Amino acid sequence: MKEKRIYQCEDSLEGIFSAVYIAWASRYGHDNIELEVLGMEEEYNLKLFSEYIIVENNPENASKVADSIKKKISPHAYQMVARAALSNDKRKANAIYHFLVRGFAFGAKVEDHLSDSYVQIIFELNRYVGNDAHLYTGFVRFIELENGILFSKIEPKNNVLEIITPHFADRLAQENFMILDVKRKIATVHKSDSTWVLTAISDEELATLLSVTERKEKYERLWKTFFDSIAIKERENKTCQRNHVAMHYRKYMTEFIDDVEHENEPLRDNLDKIGKINYE
Amino acid sequence: MIVQESMTIEQKLTILSDAAKYDVACTSSGVARDGKDGSIGNTAASGICHAFSADGRCISLLKVLFTNECIYDCKYCINRVSNDVPRTTFTPEEVCSLTMEFYRRNYIEGLFLSSGIIKTPNYTMELIGRTLKMLRTEYHFNGYIHCKAIPGADTELIETIGWYADRMSVNLELPTADGLKLLAPHKNRKNILNPIRQIQAGIEESRENFGMMGGNKGAYWHTRRKVEQKSITQKREEDALLHIGHKDQIRQVIESKSDKGVGFSNRILTGWEEEKDSKILTPNHRIYHGNQEISSTIESPSVIAKPQGLTMWNQFGGNRGFVPAGQSTQMIIGATGETDYEIVNVTEALYQKFDLKRVFFSAFIRVNEDSTLPVLPGGPPLLREHRLYQADWLLRYYGFEATELLTKERPNFNVFFDPKCNWAIGHLEQFPVEVNTADYYTLLRVPGIGPKSAGRIVKARQMSKLRFEDLKKIGVVLKRALYFITCSGQMMYPTKIEENYITNQMLQLDEKLPSHITNGGITYQQLSLFDDSLMLSNS
Repeated sequence: MKEKRIYQCEDSLEGIFSAVYIAWASRYGHDNIELEVLGMEEEYNLKLFSEYIIVENNPENASKVADSIKKKISPHAYQMVARAALSNDKRKANAIYHFLVRGFAFGAKVEDHLSDSYVQIIFELNRYVGNDAHLYTGFVRFIELENGILFSKIEPKNNVLEIITPHFADRLAQENFMILDVKRKIATVHKSDSTWVLTAISDEELATLLSVTERKEKYERLWKTFFDSIAIKERENKTCQRNHVAMHYRKYMTEFIDDVEHENEPLRDNLDKIGKINYE
Repeated sequence: MIVQESMTIEQKLTILSDAAKYDVACTSSGVARDGKDGSIGNTAASGICHAFSADGRCISLLKVLFTNECIYDCKYCINRVSNDVPRTTFTPEEVCSLTMEFYRRNYIEGLFLSSGIIKTPNYTMELIGRTLKMLRTEYHFNGYIHCKAIPGADTELIETIGWYADRMSVNLELPTADGLKLLAPHKNRKNILNPIRQIQAGIEESRENFGMMGGNKGAYWHTRRKVEQKSITQKREEDALLHIGHKDQIRQVIESKSDKGVGFSNRILTGWEEEKDSKILTPNHRIYHGNQEISSTIESPSVIAKPQGLTMWNQFGGNRGFVPAGQSTQMIIGATGETDYEIVNVTEALYQKFDLKRVFFSAFIRVNEDSTLPVLPGGPPLLREHRLYQADWLLRYYGFEATELLTKERPNFNVFFDPKCNWAIGHLEQFPVEVNTADYYTLLRVPGIGPKSAGRIVKARQMSKLRFEDLKKIGVVLKRALYFITCSGQMMYPTKIEENYITNQMLQLDEKLPSHITNGGITYQQLSLFDDSLMLSNS
C-alpha cells in the first residue's frame, strides 16, 4: 500500500489553491492525496504511514488553478469552491481538491453529481456558508458613533464578511460604515458614496475599536422597547426563537444584550398609570 | 376618549407596537430593488429576517399602528372602541425617524404601517399617505414599505398610497361574510373587497404599462401559469428546469414562449379568452365564471373607477411601480365556525380572482371577553393554522387545487398528517414512483420530496443511478417518502401499498412540527398521547 501524502496549507482560498497546484503536480495519485488546512487538522493527528508536506502560499500557482476552474469546469463551480473555502469545516480543503479532480474530468456537469461524496460536501458547505451569510444580512447590528460612522461587530463561524459587505454597500451607500470580524481580526470599511475595502486589524486597533462602542444611545433603547412589546405572550416560545436565531449570533445583537439601564417594567407600569388617569 | 398629548416616543412605540402585534403578513419579500443615488435602502426579493421575537416569529419590519384609536367595535380586536386601553397616535415625523434610524442600524427591512380608524377612514388613510410620502420624498427611503388600505377610504387616496408602498393589504378579517357580520358589525365584505379589487387593477395596469419591476406575477401556481399563457405541461417542465438550475436552458424555455416586447407588455389577452373555464379576472375587468361553487363565499365586487395610473406615475416620478410587491390579506382562524374546506376554497378564490401575493392565517387569540367569541380550551389553534399554511404552500408552489385537498364530505385536515401526506394516502393508485425515471412533477407529489430535492434528484440521476442513501443526502425525508418510492425497482423495506398499513406506519412517525406548535405544548402533547394509545389498541 502506498503511503498517504497529506498536504497542509494556509486557511485561505490562495492557500488551498496553492496546495491543490502542488498536490496535482506531484502525480502521486489522487487517491493517495489528502489536503488539510493548518489549524484545522484532524484530531487523530498524526496518521501512521503518512507523509506531511506543508505548502507555502504561491499566488501565481493559485491564480493558475483559479483560471483553469473557470475555463475548464465553470465560473459557477469556481464560485462554489470559493464559498466552500470560507467555511469553518475542516474537510473543506480535501473536498475542494477531490471535487476539482472530478471537475476536471467531467466538466460543468460535476455540480450535478450529488451522489458523489466530495461533490456532496462542496454542495453542503455552499449551502451552509450561503445560509450563514444570509442570516448575517439580517443579524448585523450597527451602532452610530459620535462622528456619525456606523459600526458593527460580528463573530461569524464562517468567514462571511466578504459576502455580506456588498449587500450593505448597496443598501447604505451614503453612509460611512465598518463591519469588524472580531475573531478573525479583519474588517470591511465603506466610505460614503464610494467603494469598500477589506482590511486586517492589528491588536491595538482592535482594542481601541472594542472600547469605543460602550456608549448606549436612544435608538438602541427604542429598538429594545419595540422588540419586547411586539411578542405575543400567548404564543411565547423560546425554543422556536432559539431555532431561528441561535445563541452564537446574539453576542452583538442589540436586542439580546442585557442592559441594566434598560428595564421595561417601570415603563409598562407607567403606561398603565397613564391609561388609568385617562379613563378615570 | 381622552388622548395623552405629552407621551414620549418610547411610550407611543410601546403602545402602538403592542397593538400591532396581532397583525401577521410581516414579511419583506416579493420585490428586488437596488439602492439608488441619493437614497437610502434597497429591497431583497427573498426578504430578510432581522430578528425573532420571544414568540419565535420573524421580525423584518417595524410593525406599528399609526394610531390605536378606533371608531369600530370589532369583537376580536384589542383596539375596539369599547375597550378601556391607553390610546395614542404617532405623528408622520415620528414614524419616519423611527423607520430611518432603525433601518440605518440594520434592525429592520422597512416599515409595516397599519392603523385603527381615527375619525373616518379617509382621515386615517390620509395620515398614512402623508407618512409614506414624507418617507419616500423627504427622507429618501428606498427600502420596503407595507401598509394597510383602509376599507371605505376614497379610491384616489388608496391609489396615491399604492405608488409609495411596496405591498398593500386589506384584511379580510374572517373567512366568510357571515362571520364578519357577527364579529365585526361595522365592517362589510363589499367594503373590504372594493379596495382589494382596486389595488389589483392598479397592479395590472402598472404591470402592463411599465413592465413593472418585481410584481405579483401570480402567486398561485395555476394563476401564474395562466398569466404566462402556458399549458399545465409546459409550466411543469419550466418548473422542473428552474429547480434543476441550468440557466441557459431556462432562458431557452422562457424565450421560446414569449413573442415580442419587453416585460409584461407581451401579455396579450387573447390566450385567456379561449379558456372559458378560467375564473381569472382580466385587466379589462371581465370575469369569467367557472366553477362558481368554489368561489361562492366571495361576492363579485362592484366595478370601481379605473385608477389614473399614468398621471400618478408622472406626478411622483417614481420608478417603483404600483404596489410592486403585490397585495396580501389575512383572516382569523377559529373565531367562527368555518371548516378547513371553506377556508382553503376562499384562499384559492382570493388567489384566482384577486391575484393576491399571499393569504395569511392567524390563529384566533381571545384578547377580549365577549360572549360572541369562542373559548378554545387548547389555546390558539396553532396546529390548524400550520396545516392551512401547508395547504397554502401546496396551492402556491406545487400546483395543487383546493378540490384535491379537501371535499365537502371530508371538510377538515387530518391533524395527524400534513395535507400532502393526506393527499398521497388517498391516491395510492399513483404510487409507488420510481425515483430514477419519474418526472419532476411526479416526484414533487411524493410526501417527503419538495421542489428542491425533486430538482436535485432529476439533476443527480443524470450522472449515476440513485440509491436510498443518496436520497437522504439530497434532502429527501425518507421516513415519509419510503412508502411511496422505489429506487431501481426496489422499495426501501418490504412494505404494502395499502391504505391502512401505510396510515398506521405513518402514525408512528414523529412529524417534525415547527417549534411554535410543539413548544406551545398542549396541542401536540395531546396528539402524541392519543397517538400512543391508538397504537396500543391496534397491537
